[in-house]
Amino acid sequence: MRNSSWASMFRSPFVVIVSLVTLWFVATFLVFPNANLLISTFLPQGQFSFRAIDKLVSSERAMNSLWHSFALAATLAVTVNVVGIFIVLVTDYFKIRGARMLWLGYATTLIYGGIVLAAGYNFIYGRYGFVTNAVRNWFPEIDPNWFSGYFAVVVVMTLATTTNHMLFLGSSLAKIDYQTIEAARNMGASTMSILWRIVLPALRPMIFAVTVLTFLTGLGALTAPLVLGGTDFQTIAPMILTFSKSTGSRDLAALLAVILGLATIVLLAMMNRVEKSGVYFSVAKVATPLQKQRIPNRFANAAVHVAAYVLFVVYATPVLLIVLFSFLQSSAILTGSITWGDFTLDNYATVFGTPAVLRPFVVSVVYSALASAIVVGGMLFVSRVLQKHRNPVTTMLEYLLHIPWILPTILIALALVMTFDRPNAMVGGQVLTGTTSLLLIAYVIVKVPFTLRLLKAAFASVPESLEDAARILGAGSMFTLRKVLVPLILPTAAAITALNFNSLLDDYDAAVFLYHPLYQPLGVAIKASTEGENNVDSMSITFVYTVLLMIIMGFTMYLVYGRGGSSTRRRKRRAGTVTVK
Amino acid sequence: MNKRTLTATLAAVLLGTLALTSCSSTAGEASSSGDSSGTLIVYTNSNSDGRGEWVTAKAAEAGMKIEIVGLGGADLANRIVAEKNNPVGDVVFGLNNMFFETLKSEDAVSAYTPEWSGDVDKSAGDAKDGAFWPLVEQAIVTVYDTNTVTGADAPTQVSDLWEDAAYDGRYEVNTSLGQATPQLVLAGLLAPYADKKGDLGISDAGWKQVQDYYKHGSPAVEGTDLYARLTRDEVDYGVLPSSGITSRDAEYATKTGVISPKDGVPYVTEQIAVINGTPRQGQAEKFIDWFGSADVQGEFAAEFASFPVNEKARAQALPEVVALIESLPKQDIDWSLTRERISEWVEKTELEYLP
Repeated sequence: MRNSSWASMFRSPFVVIVSLVTLWFVATFLVFPNANLLISTFLPQGQFSFRAIDKLVSSERAMNSLWHSFALAATLAVTVNVVGIFIVLVTDYFKIRGARMLWLGYATTLIYGGIVLAAGYNFIYGRYGFVTNAVRNWFPEIDPNWFSGYFAVVVVMTLATTTNHMLFLGSSLAKIDYQTIEAARNMGASTMSILWRIVLPALRPMIFAVTVLTFLTGLGALTAPLVLGGTDFQTIAPMILTFSKSTGSRDLAALLAVILGLATIVLLAMMNRVEKSGVYFSVAKVATPLQKQRIPNRFANAAVHVAAYVLFVVYATPVLLIVLFSFLQSSAILTGSITWGDFTLDNYATVFGTPAVLRPFVVSVVYSALASAIVVGGMLFVSRVLQKHRNPVTTMLEYLLHIPWILPTILIALALVMTFDRPNAMVGGQVLTGTTSLLLIAYVIVKVPFTLRLLKAAFASVPESLEDAARILGAGSMFTLRKVLVPLILPTAAAITALNFNSLLDDYDAAVFLYHPLYQPLGVAIKASTEGENNVDSMSITFVYTVLLMIIMGFTMYLVYGRGGSSTRRRKRRAGTVTVK
Repeated sequence: MNKRTLTATLAAVLLGTLALTSCSSTAGEASSSGDSSGTLIVYTNSNSDGRGEWVTAKAAEAGMKIEIVGLGGADLANRIVAEKNNPVGDVVFGLNNMFFETLKSEDAVSAYTPEWSGDVDKSAGDAKDGAFWPLVEQAIVTVYDTNTVTGADAPTQVSDLWEDAAYDGRYEVNTSLGQATPQLVLAGLLAPYADKKGDLGISDAGWKQVQDYYKHGSPAVEGTDLYARLTRDEVDYGVLPSSGITSRDAEYATKTGVISPKDGVPYVTEQIAVINGTPRQGQAEKFIDWFGSADVQGEFAAEFASFPVNEKARAQALPEVVALIESLPKQDIDWSLTRERISEWVEKTELEYLP
């Protein structure tokens, strides 16, 4: 699989073309604009200044926030894996009563996030939350601020970021060969040791990939610390946001972002190394679909059931509350005293009463769908080439493709505006600033690293023997890719597309600088209708939009996963038949 | 290589290039710049609460086709500066004088003297070059709810809030220094302490004020309105622009009292200007002449409780708005120093003084 010889790489026109297109894309849209911006930020008068470093090092607040971000990322890398693997095992591996319902509860984090998610948890457990109030009725001595700071941020973000585990670990788990498990059982292995020695090792490529994602989410944490962190636990992202919006302080923003980015790249390099060693693959040659395992120990079985249902309640309550809150007046929500008289349809009337309310939805759906299809389509080829041919050029390309992870979206957007405001030879002499295309390009760019990571992990878990078989039978590389490999990673690709689509739907950071005046996207429209000095109902309006977004995102997930586990099972069976043939 | 592989390869290549370049081909026809007719693109941060729709409708009645692009103040200013080599917008209004000074220094707006220039106080805009012109005035005030705090308990000086231990943690401080209002609060705090020899043009005593202000305050909670915090007794005082008071009193059943210090409160003036390099210069000027006129500003004031700079339009402003503004003296702020230094002040505060 690891073919580092140059000759073989250039023998295939497919590889050559993919490499050239990728090179062009990386140079034009990733390196050139951002290098432009960074050079003008760090070298304003043509010489490097240590101003940014000095300022940051001498600021206690910046150092604390930076440390908090790292602490959060490291903690999440552990906690999210624990919770994430638990929910995947509960829904897909063990025999648990009501697993389908549990899955739906855990999947709620797929359809909402950001400020609304943090606010949702705050309304339940925060200082004025009803759980806090109820508990304080019994135990008045409890601190009303118990749910704040590091602890609260970790809890909320852990629950919120298990999304990747659910989708990607779930589909990797489905690919494990059941015969290995049966064999182990026949040899007398216990449930625990099968899990520990066979199942988890087989999931390692995907666990690494989602751990990198989790770490990154932790580093970039913005809203959860703002809402729940209190004064003791603020992270670096809000500071980066403030600084990147001011021309004079942009060097500080860039420096902070680069520090976070480098940490991610170091982690990535470590994971790549482990992935390369590749000794742990125990993937099916003849895949028998996985069967759910019973937990033999009665006590353990009960404990797992209880834990699963407690988690379910914790996951599902905020979503129900948000739907409920969208029918309430803001003052009732915020002051925390809700009576029957506070229920109203006014919030929905306000949203739907705005002229042309549907237009931003359409614009954003089109942009998000195009961008997620393009990025997954393109990265399918790229990740294949990167994974198949390992040499200095492809390694460098791979790292360059992660640039969007290093820089905050705001800086990427600004760099694009300033680079393409004049005819540029790299894009055929066109001016892109002020056109509808620039936002699409930005959306594609920001989704490249996420898509690449997960697709690469998906390719890595495909057994090499399948490809060998195809080659021996005379299939060309394109044919093998199309007929053998793509069907196998299709579930992952579909999940990535859906996730990209959902996350782009209410984007604000890129849109704000890039959107074409006549095509206002949803994120900007939401911001416009919730901000404003006289707009006291902003929280309720946000909830209404969230409910509407949940419907769209829920529908997207239904298209991908819906029609029940049946289609997944069918897909599994089909994958099995391909192998048998 | 067999034929099938070749076709597949070709298809892949097509798909790949299509995917990566189709972006640029979808653009062409939708490009907004370059033609001198067509819809006028109006950039503003003052489009919320139905203002954008109101302006669009009224402009249509006056025979102008406009499209409002509404963004927050700092974002909007950044966008205009980033686009200055190939402007997308034609007119910008609603940003305060600080942002407009930045736009002017970046050559992002061009000078034009509107027909109504004689009806406004020139010193409220860009008196020297006439690059931007004033529309609406706002006071940045410290408020409290008279239902819970009696006027006698309220401090007479804003600085009492952090100098008197009785108010410790009972006033809200907004820490989102990227936004306009917190920046103005900072400018107001530092204005009396201008000192050429001090750090960033401010004496040590001034920086001490900033430090104490944030140290003894209660940081604003993301997503929670100041008035929600006032009514549930989390804080007693907080800052907001004067135009937000009326609607909040109605929503939260509060009765707002305003601290009126002897030295005055910071005032900001929202401005209007032509964006430099627009192909629709004529239309843009026509829009400015129309929007800033006494009639339109008067109607706008009556509809949205604003306080117009246009003296002829003030007759139509709401009486309670006029009364409030006239009761609040203007703080003396050196705006040219503020504009020059504000981003450094924000940076220093963000790095050293925020909680």
